[in-house]
Amino acid sequence: MNLSMHIRLFLRSFFLQTGWNFVKYQNVGLTFIMLPFLRKLYKQDKEALPAVMSRYLDNFNTQPVMASFCIGALAKKEEAIAQAQSVTDFKEKVAEWTSARRGLSITAASIGDRLFWGTLKPLTLLLAIFIWLCLGVNFFEIELLTNPLVFDALCAGAVAFFVYNSVALFVKWQGISIAYNSDEKTCFGLTKFDWNKTIYYAKHIGLILAAGLILFGVYHYFKNIEFNLYFITRAVLVLFFVMISFLTRKLKVPNMYLYIAAVIIFNLACYL
Amino acid sequence: MTLSIILLCILAALLELDTTYVGQLSFSRPIIAGPLFGLITGDLMAGIQVGVFTELLFADISPLGGIIPPSGVMCAAIPMILYSLGIELYFGFFLGVLAGIAYGQLDKWMRKARFKWMVFLEKNAAARPGDFSRTVIMLILSAFLLNLIFISVCAWICTQLMYNIVAYIPLKTYVAFKFAYMAVPWIGLATLIPAFRLKTR
Repeated sequence: MNLSMHIRLFLRSFFLQTGWNFVKYQNVGLTFIMLPFLRKLYKQDKEALPAVMSRYLDNFNTQPVMASFCIGALAKKEEAIAQAQSVTDFKEKVAEWTSARRGLSITAASIGDRLFWGTLKPLTLLLAIFIWLCLGVNFFEIELLTNPLVFDALCAGAVAFFVYNSVALFVKWQGISIAYNSDEKTCFGLTKFDWNKTIYYAKHIGLILAAGLILFGVYHYFKNIEFNLYFITRAVLVLFFVMISFLTRKLKVPNMYLYIAAVIIFNLACYL
Repeated sequence: MTLSIILLCILAALLELDTTYVGQLSFSRPIIAGPLFGLITGDLMAGIQVGVFTELLFADISPLGGIIPPSGVMCAAIPMILYSLGIELYFGFFLGVLAGIAYGQLDKWMRKARFKWMVFLEKNAAARPGDFSRTVIMLILSAFLLNLIFISVCAWICTQLMYNIVAYIPLKTYVAFKFAYMAVPWIGLATLIPAFRLKTR
């Protein structure tokens, strides 16, 4: 795979979820990504292209960033199919291609969900909150008195954006070439990274940030302490919702329903 | 004012595409979308607050497998539109959460309905592979249009609703909504911190 094709696959990989549907998931996106590669591969045999595309239009679902590994691996496998010498060889290569697509999409999704949705997204959220609080942008106060500087307002979001995307785009770019140049023995390059270690360290950073945020919150609320009714009501409210949140998390009730319930309960409490 | 609302609706429809259909570059995250909406309406602090509160509230739902989370962009856009019209953030946020949930349901319906097109698409792809890119562009455009219609209709309904009832809302309801809004970051943080439990090794 040359650089030009690598760039085309990389750019098209941003459209993986276009056409997402509940039956075949990301099949349209995958076909769209692979189209330039398939066109180049089957340049001499254009009549084969519709049949090849129908294979890609079968169901496919994985985590969007980690899909790059699937793209690279499928490109490699497709080259082997295109070079098949006999019908038996062709059938064997197609079976290998199918099993690689299924197996790799599940493995990649499992890693991607834990790394990107489960760790990196909450980590960058905490990072943004931490930066805003350090810059004095205190959004916890409900009464909004002054607007911050544009730089202060945008920089925390920008840092979260760059941290998340630097990891995501690195994995996306490298995943294509690593998977293309690897084989089944290394699970198409997936074993070249120590994903568990990465997640472990990212969670460590998250814990440090979370502890820092709690300390900052405690300092903020206790620096000019006045035990008036407002302070006590607020403290009770915070403690109550923290406890309820832990409970609803165990019951797997989403936060948004807890908030809606809070609106109803507070209205009832105000009128009773 | 109307121009900024129109701009905000267009920006929200574009950013919502990033959630699923194009990119997934995290432009659609409320902590990024909120301040951008704030830049348009001139209420940066409100934009940051709504962005952070929205992201914290929806932090416990990830798009794993076939799960479709509520739209954070819609949830951040509605309160910002209402706030720019003088409606308190805590009322706008409640309506925003409802709009976000409604968008999630609409998206679910769209994804179910889209499969009907797949049969046609597969036949078309087999007959004319060259048309495939055009189909993808059409899918993106239709998603953008749907987003734009949804946010515009929601903004209009919420604005009309609040204008008609705001004069009759008793003070107690203000207090109740304000307290519930105050609880949002703590509800979010309480579920966010356990996400960093070290159980992977």
